[in-house]
Amino acid sequence: MTTATRAMPTRSDLVQVSQHLWEIPCSFRDDMRAPARLYADEVLLDDALGDRSMEQLVNTATLPGVTKYAIAMPDIHQGYGFPIGGVVATRLPGGIISPGGVGYDINCGVRLLASEASVQEVSPFLAELASLLYRNCPSGVGVRGEIKLQDAELDKVLVEGARWTEEHGYARIEDLRHTEEFGTMRGADPDYVSHKARERGRGQIGTLGAGNHFIEVDCIAEIFDETAAKCLGLFSDQAVVQIHCGSRGFGHQVCEDYVARFQTTVHDYGIELPDRELVCAPFESEEGQQYFHAMACAANFAFANRQVLAHRIRQSFEQALAGKVPGFDLHQVYDIAHNMAKIEEHEVSGTHMRLCVHRKGATRAFGPGSPGLPEDLRDIGQPVLIPGSMGTESYVLIGTHGSMQQTFGSTCHGAGRVWSRTRARKTVRGQQLRQELESRGIAVRTRSMPGLAEEAPQAYKDVSRVVDVVARAGIGKRVARLEPIAVIKG
Amino acid sequence: MRGIAIQHFQEIEHAADWAFRAHGCDLAQLFANAARGMFELQVGAGSAETNVARGVAVSGVDRETLLVNWLNELLYLQETQHEAYSRFEILEISDTHLQARVHGRPYRPEGKLIKAVTFHDLMVRQSEDGWEATIVVDV
Repeated sequence: MTTATRAMPTRSDLVQVSQHLWEIPCSFRDDMRAPARLYADEVLLDDALGDRSMEQLVNTATLPGVTKYAIAMPDIHQGYGFPIGGVVATRLPGGIISPGGVGYDINCGVRLLASEASVQEVSPFLAELASLLYRNCPSGVGVRGEIKLQDAELDKVLVEGARWTEEHGYARIEDLRHTEEFGTMRGADPDYVSHKARERGRGQIGTLGAGNHFIEVDCIAEIFDETAAKCLGLFSDQAVVQIHCGSRGFGHQVCEDYVARFQTTVHDYGIELPDRELVCAPFESEEGQQYFHAMACAANFAFANRQVLAHRIRQSFEQALAGKVPGFDLHQVYDIAHNMAKIEEHEVSGTHMRLCVHRKGATRAFGPGSPGLPEDLRDIGQPVLIPGSMGTESYVLIGTHGSMQQTFGSTCHGAGRVWSRTRARKTVRGQQLRQELESRGIAVRTRSMPGLAEEAPQAYKDVSRVVDVVARAGIGKRVARLEPIAVIKG
Repeated sequence: MRGIAIQHFQEIEHAADWAFRAHGCDLAQLFANAARGMFELQVGAGSAETNVARGVAVSGVDRETLLVNWLNELLYLQETQHEAYSRFEILEISDTHLQARVHGRPYRPEGKLIKAVTFHDLMVRQSEDGWEATIVVDV
């Protein structure tokens, strides 16, 4: 295993497969086990070639068991090990599972809640609503919430996920129906979670965290698909809320524990890797299974976390709007994960195959009729929630037959960074950015001005361009566009 | 603590996360400066005043793993004890084991903090000028 710098793919190494699909064939590097494919238009292709993300994508194409292609979404950007915006499916039995292919923020994801009120009705109370959301939903890295769990109760959260929150009054039964995996990732076993992970996570249920995590109140600015929008309870000018966060310190520690452990495991299985952060183990091996059990615990932690935050958001809406705005109550549209490894069946070259699908900065996007969808959504396909960068538009999509055929039922997850955090911090002043957003009628609440600057819209790709590529490539269908009216940044 | 190199760390541009390079005249100073760099990136140059001290012992299969485990242990302490550290006494160090005493102060995070230290592009090497390490962190 080495970390030696390898040849970076350039434009001339790419073969155009179709208008928005590019391929780096196996001939590019001897250690590739499958081609690497990128969904992009010309502009996003240049962005992808502008950092090391394509080299990182090629690295993932060397993993044992990789099936069909290592895939990059148009929002791809450089990460550590796997690129952000990557999908790698390994065939079972025999294929690997990689903690780095899921990332530190296991089950980082997005939830969308929708009111029955219009933005015009909510706007007069927006400042108070934003302040209540900020106060009721604790943010910051090490911050703790109001729920403190002893080991036995924490174990229940780790096994049951959002179902635990329903039993404790934080969720409605219909919330679970509209959550990926119905809010409970199977296979969780707390025996494989370290004491440290427990210590980090114990007080963090119901907290937002920091970085690019946020709560955002949005307006449905445009409907593209009336039938799907109606099915999801979405209408023009509606006030809705997005939550973006994950498994907090608990998930970080689970990933850390297994990336460190797999540094030796990988040698035991004779796996050669181009990057130590790609360490992995055969899925069926003892070590692979142990990671999967622990990862599922972190996934459940994240489902419970977003659910408790949803509860706090409902309370905030009630406090700010009850008696003033009749339709203040929020129903859950859907909740998706964009950092996860899942065991799924997909058709590969005419055969049904069992696969371990790693999505790192990519969203599951199951098409109409897919198993795993609740009955009321089965005809339209799975809702996919694509947050834009701060202050810009976001999208609701649905999965398609095309995503099932081309990308193991996956699509993009957001805008994708183009500027480093350092460059954003040096170029953008947090206070000025806040004023700009507020002059556009967007209420901003944050703990950190430098943190705000790092998430400036200029630091990201154009999310509409990203969504346009997935729509044109047929791996996602637009339902609605959202415009922000209040941002609560972690 | 041993003498401090003039430039103990430098930030390196990274598209999405943070990366930095630490220097030291020997392995002990390299590890101390890497820790200093990590905390300065998060909370700025620490005040000289410290009022908490903690013992830390970590091991790893090689120097690189030891460095990652050391820095991740400090992140764990930072998050669970709500402290930031600014002085790092390396009491004992080999390629696979480290014992240290770290000094800091209570700290409530205001801004962006590091989630984890990664193995991506990780490098620990001895050069003509001493030791250097390259570290990429997830934020």
